[in-house]
Amino acid sequence: MRYLSLLGQYSLQYAKVRMEHRADFFISVATMTLATVFGLAVVFLIFGGNRPVPGWTFAELLFLYGYSLLPMALFNVISVNLYQFADGYLIQGKFDRVLLRPVNSLFQILFEQLRVEALGDAVLGLFVMMSVAPRIDVPLGAAQILFLIVAVFCGALLYTAIFVMLATVSFWFEDKVGVMPPVYNLIAFGRYPLDIYNGFLRVLLSWIVPFAFASFYPAALILRGDRYLLHAALLPVVTIVFCGLALRVWEQGVRNYGSTGS
Amino acid sequence: MPALIDVADLVKDFRGFKRQPGIAGAIRNLFAREYTYTRAVDHISFQIPSSEMVGYIGPNGAGKSTTIKMLTGILMPTSGSIVSNGFEPFGQRTRYTRTIGVVFGQRTQLWWDIPVVESFRLLQNIYDVSDADYKARMKRFDEVLEIERYLNTPVRKLSLGERMRCDVAAALLHNPPILFLDEPTIGLDIVAKEHIREFLKQINQQYGTTMLLTTHDLADIEHLCRRLMVIDRGKLLFDGPLAELKRRLWRENAVKFDLKDREAADRLEHTDIPFVTAERAGELTVRLRFPRETHSTAEVIRRVVTTVDVSDIAIEGQSIDDVVKEIYTTNTLVDKV
Repeated sequence: MRYLSLLGQYSLQYAKVRMEHRADFFISVATMTLATVFGLAVVFLIFGGNRPVPGWTFAELLFLYGYSLLPMALFNVISVNLYQFADGYLIQGKFDRVLLRPVNSLFQILFEQLRVEALGDAVLGLFVMMSVAPRIDVPLGAAQILFLIVAVFCGALLYTAIFVMLATVSFWFEDKVGVMPPVYNLIAFGRYPLDIYNGFLRVLLSWIVPFAFASFYPAALILRGDRYLLHAALLPVVTIVFCGLALRVWEQGVRNYGSTGS
Repeated sequence: MPALIDVADLVKDFRGFKRQPGIAGAIRNLFAREYTYTRAVDHISFQIPSSEMVGYIGPNGAGKSTTIKMLTGILMPTSGSIVSNGFEPFGQRTRYTRTIGVVFGQRTQLWWDIPVVESFRLLQNIYDVSDADYKARMKRFDEVLEIERYLNTPVRKLSLGERMRCDVAAALLHNPPILFLDEPTIGLDIVAKEHIREFLKQINQQYGTTMLLTTHDLADIEHLCRRLMVIDRGKLLFDGPLAELKRRLWRENAVKFDLKDREAADRLEHTDIPFVTAERAGELTVRLRFPRETHSTAEVIRRVVTTVDVSDIAIEGQSIDDVVKEIYTTNTLVDKV
């Protein structure tokens, strides 16, 4: 409860900061929207026309892609500080201030800066899903929608857990480490049907960095039902395991925190 | 009554690695690192009773900040124990930090981009301070620190002096029983320094707030603290009253004489008073140094004025800075409590 009210406070303050730099905000909205539209254009270019993916219609591919934008958008709202964690917090010593507050340190890192404009992608994703829904031969009832809502939150949590673990790496290696960009690029693979990849990528995306759980499996359950039932059922388990792991790794990192010289 | 802060045998080691120069070296660093361990804090023990104001001094890199960071729960001690206000700072951090205030002179604890008052509002929420308390305390802070005028300015636009006043006020918004200050007066002008000292003194008297402050300005210590701890190379060299430190190390006094003419100055320069060393400080000026044990200042002056024509006298005593410099340079273990 206290954390919820703090979250409100944080977002309010952050909104004020963003208001101070309005141009920055609008540029950010524009670039994010543009990036997503380009991504969508790529789907049209590659899979549109007469080059279908075996076993998947073009409408289904768009449905998968549209859905993948939802958990990603939620994650992007809170991801800013994770990307700049090593630089902004550890090297500059801003993490001291975080530790001095009687609030969970990870909570502060995740919610100190909220990039609300990231939700624009979610709107776009929903729009794509709704436009192709009539061309897909599946019922979208209350049960399905409820499942998708839960799955979106699980997916966002999964992304957060993975990137928290990557950010934590910087507690041990003071140098800026470039592990995040390659993993970030891996997310894109989870947007397309998993069966177009070879075995190695499938295992990687399912069980090592489980981005397929965040986006492909839940959407595929809606489209294919039974075939992906097991994976969809495992989604909450995978989410809980990765979140638990992330928290443990984070705690270990904080124990290893060395602060700066002065 | 048990001490409010109890530190026993505290040690902190930092792990670093030898950086090899050049690109080949950088690659070697990546795979085979030679780790080196530096001991920043070396078996330190002390107790601080409630309401005491303690000064913590030492040269750069002595381990002051590292000690403060362990006491505030930022760093995990390598070994040893800390019990502060009933908590183990690192292990019980979120509950413990509710009961302390921390000021870092080098770095602000406020949010950089938002107006000061918004930072205060956030802190009010974080520490669950009631509206009534908030108003009363802000009024009190304004009386001494005069922060009202720039409450609506973003922190990044404040001068150092203004920012420090806000930082001190922010650290006390929840009226913590313990306040840690790491170089709170660094870089401040004399007026701002006095404001902050006066404020800290009042807070200590009114609320009995226990304070531990590190500083390079010994005037801070003389104004605020009766007790002083000196640390160097991670070891506690002295722990006791300031007066005691002076008594032990203040070995020498000095008096500067301005003479009427050159001849008198020449004569005084070659004085025959035993154990007194003379040095020429100007054409007509001579400084005499003498040990405190053998000579009183009054006696030296009497002997000089009865033998030569003196126009002016200045008593120079050893400054506390000199005393401390002596500890730092000789690194002698003065007293281990």
